[in-house]
Amino acid sequence: MRALDMNIKGEVVAMLGFAGAAVTLWLGMMWAPSVSISAFKAPEAQRIFYWHVPSAWAAMIAFGLLFVGSIYWFFKRSDWAWRLHVASSEAGLATGLMCVWSGCIWGAAEWGVPWDWTDVRLNTFAILTLLSLYLVMGRRSQPDGVETRDTFAAFGMFGFALVPLTYIATRLWQIRHPGPVVATSEGSLNSDMSIVLFLGAISFTTLTVGYVMAGMRLTKLEMRLEELQGQYEERMR
Amino acid sequence: MMGIIELSEATVLRGRSKVLDKWSISVNSGDIVCLAGENGCGKSTVIETASGLIPLENGSATISEQLVRDSEGRRGRPTFGLCLQDDCVMGDELVGERILDAAGFDFDVEGLLKTWGLDHRIHDRIAMLSGGQRRKVALLSGLIPAMISQTPVAVLLDEPDSGLDDDSIKKLADTLRNLAAGGHAILVSSHDSRIIEVSHRVIRFPYEEEEFTQDDGKFTPIKKGNPRKSSVGHRLNLRTLSGLANNGIAGLLTLGAMLALLDPSQLEGRILNAFILAPALTAGLCGNPIHRLSLENRAYAWWSTKSAIPQNAIIHSLILCGGLTLLASAITSELNLELILAGAILGAATEAVVGLLSNATLRLARPNAVMIRLLTPILILPWALVVDTLTA
Repeated sequence: MRALDMNIKGEVVAMLGFAGAAVTLWLGMMWAPSVSISAFKAPEAQRIFYWHVPSAWAAMIAFGLLFVGSIYWFFKRSDWAWRLHVASSEAGLATGLMCVWSGCIWGAAEWGVPWDWTDVRLNTFAILTLLSLYLVMGRRSQPDGVETRDTFAAFGMFGFALVPLTYIATRLWQIRHPGPVVATSEGSLNSDMSIVLFLGAISFTTLTVGYVMAGMRLTKLEMRLEELQGQYEERMR
Repeated sequence: MMGIIELSEATVLRGRSKVLDKWSISVNSGDIVCLAGENGCGKSTVIETASGLIPLENGSATISEQLVRDSEGRRGRPTFGLCLQDDCVMGDELVGERILDAAGFDFDVEGLLKTWGLDHRIHDRIAMLSGGQRRKVALLSGLIPAMISQTPVAVLLDEPDSGLDDDSIKKLADTLRNLAAGGHAILVSSHDSRIIEVSHRVIRFPYEEEEFTQDDGKFTPIKKGNPRKSSVGHRLNLRTLSGLANNGIAGLLTLGAMLALLDPSQLEGRILNAFILAPALTAGLCGNPIHRLSLENRAYAWWSTKSAIPQNAIIHSLILCGGLTLLASAITSELNLELILAGAILGAATEAVVGLLSNATLRLARPNAVMIRLLTPILILPWALVVDTLTA
């Protein structure tokens, strides 16, 4: 029983995060104050920010873990690092899609267009999400082995260069995406808004960490299954 | 003293298993070393590791005292002959031209092909040859660097006899003996007794080593002429029109689709520049046209031992993308040299980046199964920024 408890730790953490995300969404939509109607064309659409910003934050954490897993696999050849790579690329894809999708909805309402190909922040973030999709789908198309792991770990490592670029993009080139509103000297966030946003950040982080833990366990089981299949085939010869 | 071919403390992983574990071999000048053993025992891994095709977890591979590859990822490309189990030839290469490219020098290629019964095929595309003839071309590509050299050269041959008739195997055995007499170092993997019989050392996997004394052969190097300037990618692109058929058509279709929806005379500013530069971007996104050709018979692997830069036709790409931009400009009556130049450079650079991304997946078991195009949206941003900059 104790072993079972240990094994589903990731799922429990993910469920807690999921519950927190649901509460954040409810608070963001129903409780948080509205923004000034003079500052936005579509002030109500701004509420999607409580989903968009925490998912972007969680995606950055997932991409960071992806980088750690990739680099550690590359230099140490550790199965643990590969499992981290696998799980965090999936988490990065899920959270990245949440962020891009919510951003498009807000963009369509506020700017009149869902996307701008000249905005550096939008594009670098989308590329990071596509990189995760590439890693997830590419890995499923290949037999597991050192060649597969090396190739995708290399993409994971070099792709990480986009993370700092995405982070500083709105500071260097503010084309369409709004600049930072948290932890800046402008301090434009109302305290109630900050509470919901903070809860969102915690919840999405918890969800991502739980997903990565569960994903790593699942990958370990898959690897074990493959090993057992190999042993079975060896014995059948 | 170091051997001509040196593999020291090599540890190699393939798939999920460790194929070589701190494995070493040294082949001296004038030696033929034959690797024998059942399928899957690691013979090809030794040849491919010694030629620098497989990354090492530990140790290093050197040829003629120059580094080929080490576990730190350093790579060098000394001259050596290589024939892999896959023929590594592109179907659109010509027989004579391929052997000359492998030699890197001009020489009497017709005379050599006559010896091997291929002289009547000298101007034929390799795709037109039978399997055995194609194998002979692959084999001669591996032997020729040593055949024309008076100084010792390493030759790595992976099951060179497979698919050859009896006469050709006998000719191969004689050629190996003669090359050894000329001081060349030969590492060959084979199951054939005639190749094993001419070897000075036979290594049977997992590990058993036997040494033999052999009769000396007679080596007379083929007289070589001037170094050959090889622009294989451009030559193949001209022959196959692969760049035009893939990248060019994609660019033209983009232009056509835009013309179906937009009236060029009504366009201005940013939209006009985007209209003019879009065909070049689309052409570039199709990637390096030579990359596709080099996937045939794993030709890219053989060429990667010769040059760090993948085969390409970058000059043709500049012309093609420049031409597409010129055409789009002419349609809008907006002939602007700056835009045409930007289109040419953007298209060619995009093509090069897509080519590099595709190249990065070549180690995979199924490189065609990964969706590398998922990463190409990264190339739209620089294009969009150029459009903006040129509009401003």
